[in-house]
Amino acid sequence: MKKNNNQLLMTLLKGRTFIVLIILVIFFSFASSSFLQPSTLTMVAKHVALYGILALGMTFVIITGGIDLSVGSVVGLVGMLAGGLIQEGLTVGSKTIYFSVPAIIVLMLLVGCLIGLVNGLIVTKLNVAAFIATLGTMYVCRGLANLRSNGATFSKLGGFEGLGNMGLKALGTNWLGIPAGVYVFAVLAVLAAILLKRTSTGWHILAVGGNEKSARLSGIKADRVKILVYIISGFCAAWIGLINTAQLSAAHPASGDGWEMNAIAATVLGGTSMAGGSGTIVGTIVGAFVIGVINDGMTMCGVSEFWQKIIRGVVIILAVVIDQTQRNLQAKMALQARNEAK
Amino acid sequence: MKKLLTLVLALMMVLCVAASAEGIIYIITPSTSNPFFKTEQDVGAPKAESLGYEVKCMSHDDDAAKQLEMFEAAINDKAVAIICDNAGADASIEAVRKASEAGIPTFLIDREINESGLAIAQIVADNAQGAAAIAEKWVEAMNYEGKYAELLGLESDTNCHVRSENYHAVIDQYDTLEMVSQQSANWDQTLAYEKTEAILQEHPEITGIICGNDTMACGATQACIDAGREDIKIIGLDGSDEAAAYIKDGKMVGTALQQIAAITELAIEQADAYIKDGTKPESEKQLVPCVAITAENVDKLSAFVYTGE
Repeated sequence: MKKNNNQLLMTLLKGRTFIVLIILVIFFSFASSSFLQPSTLTMVAKHVALYGILALGMTFVIITGGIDLSVGSVVGLVGMLAGGLIQEGLTVGSKTIYFSVPAIIVLMLLVGCLIGLVNGLIVTKLNVAAFIATLGTMYVCRGLANLRSNGATFSKLGGFEGLGNMGLKALGTNWLGIPAGVYVFAVLAVLAAILLKRTSTGWHILAVGGNEKSARLSGIKADRVKILVYIISGFCAAWIGLINTAQLSAAHPASGDGWEMNAIAATVLGGTSMAGGSGTIVGTIVGAFVIGVINDGMTMCGVSEFWQKIIRGVVIILAVVIDQTQRNLQAKMALQARNEAK
Repeated sequence: MKKLLTLVLALMMVLCVAASAEGIIYIITPSTSNPFFKTEQDVGAPKAESLGYEVKCMSHDDDAAKQLEMFEAAINDKAVAIICDNAGADASIEAVRKASEAGIPTFLIDREINESGLAIAQIVADNAQGAAAIAEKWVEAMNYEGKYAELLGLESDTNCHVRSENYHAVIDQYDTLEMVSQQSANWDQTLAYEKTEAILQEHPEITGIICGNDTMACGATQACIDAGREDIKIIGLDGSDEAAAYIKDGKMVGTALQQIAAITELAIEQADAYIKDGTKPESEKQLVPCVAITAENVDKLSAFVYTGE
């Protein structure tokens, strides 16, 4: 009987974030009459996409036992670089080149990957703790973002007809009623899930996070795996830099300040262990939605920003406490099963 | 190694000689990522240089500890004056006191401190008058009726309360205007954009949004444009070029310009007078009025400088 109870509890614990999400949705649909409208749900998805995409990259990094604090600054830097390319072009010598929007998108994604590569190299080749390495690049990127315009905002990023660089706004508008960012989120999420669970690279990432030494001994190139996860994280951050800039039609050097915390929160809520070795993409997506529903739901109900912060904090701590309970229970059940087998 | 040392020493001597005869003025402001504070440095530095001073500009990023370090650097550097947009009404008192004790005059711009007698001048924009002035224009644009939302700045910031109170001092005279939602958006553009979207979901009946600054007003305006709600009347406060662009396009009703360029110039002039012959301004606390900017006079606004009347 006790064993059955444990199993039921286990199932509940495993689906805890999803259960919390459902409870939140039910709660807010009573608290606010317009919450369950399709237009509200697309809006929530649009807001969730912003830190959800950051959280996808963060999930890979945290699974390897690392952390990437630079993503918020990368958002700001990429936005400023993209805004600058549209407004002023790239001046080489006496020539000014204006890129088309697709070219700008590709360039910016490369910038994101490059910053990720730098993070990865500092962590692996120079052997700096991930927290410190990415704290450093966080400041560097924020400084560069401010330097790009000497602190000013690039606004009215519609592009110029004569220069053929119009259309960045497309990334910030709806396609067939669904915001562009949500499509990007969906595509990246599917790719991330396949990478993590269906490819050997995914297994290597999990193995390096679980036990780096034995992973190395079994022939996994741990450094390469670690560099890769930071590149993925930088790539995701670059997308957000582009989408955020497109939505606002403006690039502000302080954009993305503190967003790394949202990404970490979503990842942890989704059950990824900060110690590394375990985590799922689905969990992270659900975690991102929990934060998104809390944010938008409370705003719609008119709860003050102060309370929103407190509630967000309590939810994160509770999630980790439940996570620990689950691990303990898992260990206990395994022990029980072994005793019965004897 | 010796050669290098000689070179460095020689370079330092050259730099020392190059330092201007009138002395060094420190201009300390919040982060220049906000164009408003950037203007303080952009206007202040050339003005002081034209009067013969050497200028050092720096940002304290609203960190009072960092600000104190900068004041100490100025004291060590034997600066002749400090122009400062401070990092907090109470937290900055100590830094200004230190400078004053070291005999260096401080001229505060844009924000006050909660103690008088320490700084030579505290020159600030009249936020109360500015908020009331643009609120009048907004009430007219709303045709004296309707529901509206408010986006507040950082709620721990004095300016946030002064602006909100004075918006309401005007707006609350009309029973026909009803506020249905009030949210903090932290002076931040993305947050203002997202909060506006959420408010529009819950209260699609609103026809106006009042914002504590232009950064938030621009976020709110873009959200309304994206939602196809260009009928919504939006105001901000600061007078930024970004807001001016929206006002020109008719997407925003208006903003109140804090004449920060004029304030900074005034502070430099008063510092110059004080350094040269010890003349103090008539009163320490000085208010510079704001200018309400709407579609009618937006053409006269550029980079926080208003060239009218």
